[in-house]
Amino acid sequence: MTAIDQITTPARRRSWQSVTLWAGIILVSLHVIVGLLTLVWTPYDPSAMAGGRLEAPSWLHWVGTDRLGRDFLTQIMIGSRIALTVGIGAVAIGAAIGVTLGLLAAFASKFLDDALAAALDILIAFPTLLIAMLVVAASETATLGSAILALGIALSAIVARLTRILAKRVLLMDYITAARTSGTSWLGIVFSHVLPNIWPTLSVSFALQFGLAAIAEASLSYLGLGAPPPNASWGRLLQEAQGTVYTAPIGAIAPGIALVSLVIGINLLADGLRDSIDPTRRAR
Amino acid sequence: MSGPYQWARIVSGPQNRKTRPILAYTLRRLVILLFSLLVAAVVLFILLRLLPGDPANALLGVGATEAQIASARAQVGSDQPLYVQFISFISNLARFDLGTSFVSRASVVEEIGNRLSVTLPLTILGFVAALIIAVPLGIIAAVRSTKWYGAAISVISQLGIAIPVFWVGILLVSLFAINLRLLPSGGFPLKGWANLGEASTAMILPVLTISLVMSASMLRYVRAATLEVLGSDYLRTARALGSSFPEALIRHGLRNGAVPVISILGIELASTFLGAVVIERVFSLPGLGSMLLLAIQQRDYPNVQGVLFISTLLVLLIGFAADLTQRIVDPRLRDRGAGTP
Amino acid sequence: MSLISRRNLLVATLLASAAFSPLAFAQDYDADATIRIGSLYEPQNLDNTAGAGQGINEAFNGNVYEALFQLTDAGTVEPKLSADYKVSEDGLTYTFTLKDGVTFHSGEPLTAADVKYSIERVTAETSKSSRKKSLSTITSIETPDDKTVVITLSARSISLPYNLSYVWIVNDKAADITATEDGTGPYKLEEWRRGSALSLARFDGYWGDKPTNGEVVYQYFTDATALNNALLTNAVDVITSVQSPDSLAQFTGNSAYTVTEGASTTKEILAYNDRVAPFDNVKVRKALARAVDKAKLLNSIWGDYGTLIGSFVPPTDPWYVDLTGVDAYNPDSAKELLTEAGYPDGFEFTIDTPDYDPHPLVAQFLQSEFAKVGVKANINIITANEWYTKVYQEKNFQATLQEHVNHRDIVFYGNPDFYWGYNNPEVVKLIAGAESAGSVDEQTAKLTEANKIIAEDAASNWLYLYPQIVVSASNVTGYPVNGLNSQFFAYGIQKAK
Repeated sequence: MTAIDQITTPARRRSWQSVTLWAGIILVSLHVIVGLLTLVWTPYDPSAMAGGRLEAPSWLHWVGTDRLGRDFLTQIMIGSRIALTVGIGAVAIGAAIGVTLGLLAAFASKFLDDALAAALDILIAFPTLLIAMLVVAASETATLGSAILALGIALSAIVARLTRILAKRVLLMDYITAARTSGTSWLGIVFSHVLPNIWPTLSVSFALQFGLAAIAEASLSYLGLGAPPPNASWGRLLQEAQGTVYTAPIGAIAPGIALVSLVIGINLLADGLRDSIDPTRRAR
Repeated sequence: MSGPYQWARIVSGPQNRKTRPILAYTLRRLVILLFSLLVAAVVLFILLRLLPGDPANALLGVGATEAQIASARAQVGSDQPLYVQFISFISNLARFDLGTSFVSRASVVEEIGNRLSVTLPLTILGFVAALIIAVPLGIIAAVRSTKWYGAAISVISQLGIAIPVFWVGILLVSLFAINLRLLPSGGFPLKGWANLGEASTAMILPVLTISLVMSASMLRYVRAATLEVLGSDYLRTARALGSSFPEALIRHGLRNGAVPVISILGIELASTFLGAVVIERVFSLPGLGSMLLLAIQQRDYPNVQGVLFISTLLVLLIGFAADLTQRIVDPRLRDRGAGTP
Repeated sequence: MSLISRRNLLVATLLASAAFSPLAFAQDYDADATIRIGSLYEPQNLDNTAGAGQGINEAFNGNVYEALFQLTDAGTVEPKLSADYKVSEDGLTYTFTLKDGVTFHSGEPLTAADVKYSIERVTAETSKSSRKKSLSTITSIETPDDKTVVITLSARSISLPYNLSYVWIVNDKAADITATEDGTGPYKLEEWRRGSALSLARFDGYWGDKPTNGEVVYQYFTDATALNNALLTNAVDVITSVQSPDSLAQFTGNSAYTVTEGASTTKEILAYNDRVAPFDNVKVRKALARAVDKAKLLNSIWGDYGTLIGSFVPPTDPWYVDLTGVDAYNPDSAKELLTEAGYPDGFEFTIDTPDYDPHPLVAQFLQSEFAKVGVKANINIITANEWYTKVYQEKNFQATLQEHVNHRDIVFYGNPDFYWGYNNPEVVKLIAGAESAGSVDEQTAKLTEANKIIAEDAASNWLYLYPQIVVSASNVTGYPVNGLNSQFFAYGIQKAK
């Protein structure tokens, strides 16, 4: 009963799965390209009040304008960059804290391990959003950085728990016992045996958490605890557009579609990755 | 099949596979519960001290004098050394004395009780509705994974886990409340559940929102668990011994498949409960989540602390119940010893 | 834009006076109806001296609690619990005679001791009432008999009756009024479910005219969209203030709803900390005032609604003068002024922005306008609570956005200790002089003068005046349309049978 043999895939489904993998790659690349593009070019200056109030989509403004007359498409494109920044930042922080804690727990004495495991069990039950809310509340002013930090901390519990479990399984292997008896330091064991072994599974989990972070950031922004203006985060765009949902519905729909497409893309990518690293499948 | 929680849980498998009478297990699990509660209390204490500003501010009027500030600090105890604050904090928690709100001056315990009368039904109904959607669809998606509708269910569930819950709420309100005028857009009746009709209709859209989003991730767990059962030896054995496929699936499959799903469901239930904060905001419901959000904004420490403590307690109790249920349901854990997988 | 407002204002005033006049014809309304009022402002607690917020005035002023005087929806001050009063020659002694036959909801009769107790509640050290300062001239309160209250002042105070209209008369035997009440109003508190709703039931022992409805429920919402949705789905009968023009489109031109635009006193302002550089320099303040295209801003936030103001005074105040031309939109002159002030390359500052609508949007507009004249504005989002601590109490800010809802609040510019720290001795003198004026004309003249000076000084950046819009189902009439000082008198509301 392990993750690995659970994901056995009938051969006839492989073609379908490569379709989802490619769909994931395409969606994510699209967001990455758009995000990078906004560093050098956007259709309009994001803060320029170039159009009228809540203009409908037109050739000049493909997705219309917001209440201040700013181009929505520009904002949504910048939103891609912000979502990627938040996702990568949060996962990086979550990974740094989580992997360290998880490895410590895996190597630690029985008592410390039990204590850490119990604490992680509690933390993991709290949704990312709630932990992030508290971290944001604790920081003096809300910035994009504080949102990223908050989400990273929230994710770290999930990473730590997974790392601990994966690492403990590796540590039971015979060759680790051999390495230990031959006097390899535990740091050596970590870098030469544990990390390479658990990395594939971890990286899939990171991809999934990226999606989780993107959704949580949108929810934080919706609750007014996210990145402050003028950061055009999709969550904030949705929150601002909520009041005009009947007069200019596109503003409340377009950022949502952008968010959903990125998260689906990353999840499909993660599923595809998992299949491709699945050793039982490779073995066949 | 995705979602980080489930990934971790499935990898770990049901914990503690040594055979033990159920009572001993319960006691051991109870000790862990109390220990966890203590850890949570410590974390809570530290967290609240990290929030900026002195809680005494909430008691002060405009242009307070030094003497007034000092007396307000004495009143809330923020002038005491940290360890004294910690001891009184723990002893108050142990007595369920959560104090009174700085802002409303109302008893925190009473207020939480009122709020739970909204949040608990919301959580439980949303959870049950999600189960009703997810279990049959998840099994179909697994058993008929090669058929178009099996694949369609999987694809739609991908969509479901990628949508932020508040967005679903906003869209459902514009459809069912504003355009079709079928259901209220938000709010909760003054008399609460004493006004059963209005209270129930007020719950429909929030429950629907929760269940739609939750069922997507649940469905994926159910599907994964079913797929595993389908590939398992005992199902093959049962069929070889003459059971029909549906019979074998229901007799043996469901029970075995339920085991990993139960612990995940425990976590999902806890997440729903805590995630209700966003739903309550969308639908202007007077639940625990909106109380917490307001308390955080107002720096109303007794309320923040009270809500977090009670939530933690409930989350831990859910985990406790899930583990016990799992223990009882799992034939390997209950009837015989099971080796490492 | 302002033309439209004026015309509607006239209509609104007529409507309001019609609603409060005695009924000329047979009852065609349901005398026991429940009126459901939708609002965004839930009180924090039920005591207006304990930081309960503006929501408590909306729910309780005139409904549950009454004062010696009442500020009517039309803006006049009329006696309520005071039957009669006399002022001494020197204007320093006021003798009030109380109305007969007034009882509290608990059944206790109203006495002079209750009045003394109630005023002292507001002026007490621990009181968080924002009205505390305006009553600071009171030196003593005597109660020679049960029906007489004598108030002695240290200086003349022409607006004493006006200021006393904020002082709820509370039974002196009421122990704690943060969760209960004991007032003399036409309604008593029935139930309050925090986070959701508050209901008031008709008080049968009321001394005055019976309310034209049986029960009032204030239903609270956390955002404007939810509030509008509630009216659209018939979950409430009336909403006290519409917060965006976009939702109005659904109500205007629909015969099922009545949209009324009343006289607003809510001003959106960018307040500088006038104590600190560069905002201590009048040229910088004038430059920033000229840098903002306020007509465009108002249109962005409010569409075709709202009014432009050139200072802190709304057109309905007697001391209003049109000052929109003083620092009219002119980015070129803004740049020149900045150069003269010694900031040819501009400067950088932070706007502390409350986290609720419309402030974040306004802040982004300002950021973009200031950038055009070379000034970099950073936006710092804070909660209302942080605003109170950081800006209002500690005065630790450079500039901030805030909506000021109160009526006649120009007097804040006469207080150098106020959060924005505007200190012009001439204005301080004029505003103090207006308060101790012997006649209303003298008061008006002095405040008009003060108004002109603060506009010339660009003491703050007055962005626009919110429209005051009330929307109701068309079978509901008789509600206040101006909502002065957030009051919302419910006793005249009628629901057609």
